[in-house]
Amino acid sequence: MNYNWEWGIYLAAEPGGTGIYIKYLVIGLGWTLATALAAWVIALAIGLVVGTLRTTPHKWVVRLGNAYVEVFRNVPLIVQMFLWFFVVPELLPKALGDWVKQMAPPWGSYLPAVMCLGLYTSVRVAEQVKAGIGSLPRGQGMAGTALGLTLGQNYRFVQLPQALRIVLPPLTSEFMNVIKNSSVALTIGLLELTGRARAMQEFSFKVFEAFAAATVIYLLTNLVVVFAMRALEKKVQVPGLISASPTAGAH
Amino acid sequence: MISIKNISKWYGSFQVLTDCSTEVKKGEVVVVCGPSGSGKSTIIKCVNALEPFQKGEINVDGISVGDPKTDLPKLRSRIGMVFQNFELFPHLSVTENLTLAQIKVLGRTPDAARDKGLKLLDRVGLMAHKDKFPGQLSGGQQQRVAIARALSMDPIAMLFDEPTSALDPEMINEVLDVMVQLAQEGMTMMVVTHEMGFAKRVAHRVIFMDAGKIIEDCTKDDFFGAPRSERAQLFLSKILHH
Repeated sequence: MNYNWEWGIYLAAEPGGTGIYIKYLVIGLGWTLATALAAWVIALAIGLVVGTLRTTPHKWVVRLGNAYVEVFRNVPLIVQMFLWFFVVPELLPKALGDWVKQMAPPWGSYLPAVMCLGLYTSVRVAEQVKAGIGSLPRGQGMAGTALGLTLGQNYRFVQLPQALRIVLPPLTSEFMNVIKNSSVALTIGLLELTGRARAMQEFSFKVFEAFAAATVIYLLTNLVVVFAMRALEKKVQVPGLISASPTAGAH
Repeated sequence: MISIKNISKWYGSFQVLTDCSTEVKKGEVVVVCGPSGSGKSTIIKCVNALEPFQKGEINVDGISVGDPKTDLPKLRSRIGMVFQNFELFPHLSVTENLTLAQIKVLGRTPDAARDKGLKLLDRVGLMAHKDKFPGQLSGGQQQRVAIARALSMDPIAMLFDEPTSALDPEMINEVLDVMVQLAQEGMTMMVVTHEMGFAKRVAHRVIFMDAGKIIEDCTKDDFFGAPRSERAQLFLSKILHH
């Protein structure tokens, strides 16, 4: 392959007038993180509630939770992104729908992207939470019940603290997924990291340099997430409790 | 104190309890024994409604367990339960295990709960382990903490579901000693166990179950002296053989 790498391109000014290309990309990373973090907060909150509800003894609550999960799990992310951007504003009451459609960029793309990624990821979190609770010995819930704890107290003080410790490693993967999946928001016009790498390629014709930079930035970001989550896992580790982390001794 | 009247229970179409009736008076120690699958664990789990039953009636201290209007969490908080696998909360320290329900269910202050919990921990001889986590204790120690946890709620009766079955042989006695002491102090107890030595020492009555039915319900002396049913005789001859 004969390709003349032109590393200096990062320091060249981009035609939009915001400054050099590397700055342009770093601002993109900012939007990637702003989208992913807001979506992650929504995903954790809803996923925790829905995942827990799906383990309750109430049949109809479980069915409702299952239906929610199946809807958001079985439709491709990009289709959901289009639905949130093109269809949902039309379904809202007219005044609210118009307000959403007329939001100044990038908010008109940011809000649907956050909602889409948040709900899409929430069902994955719900699955993990449900699996975590399901993996606890049945006697744990029974012991809490026998002591007189209500169902809510039982989840809050006995089952969830244990279940969440167990599912922390898979939740790390979900957190990284939400960062990577936020790149799909470029399809509805959000200029996050991938969107900006694409724009840089179009302006400068330097496709290798543009996506080499995006690749490295994604890689470094997710490495930070991995190390932060490992530190968290270590922090909440309980002495003597069997843990999923490879640092724990064999049991 | 605990009255069980004609209860029957099914898992789907499989009947696990058939028309069981018995009575446990205040201060009485009743041992429930029988082969595995006979329904002995199920019946004591019906007493605090951990297992629902479809027919019959159970009353604890005059309160109907099967009545949908009964405040079950409140009723359960008055009945102590000890499980085969201890079921201490592994993410909480020993002290937190002892105080959680006192604070959240009984509304005691953290200080009062701690005082009460530590007093009971001292009583089961584990004061030195108050800041450890369950995973750092031996099985026998965990079960003693579990007994202290149940006692910390000031129960009117205690249910034991095979409390020594998951223990290594050398740890069985430390748990039985605590239970014997409790029995001698007049605690109302229903104990599912294969420890016939314990039954001989402190039980007032023995209930023998087989295939979901109560086959024998008699005084300890009658049971060990001359059980009426052939099934109970066979069971005794097998487990008292060693």
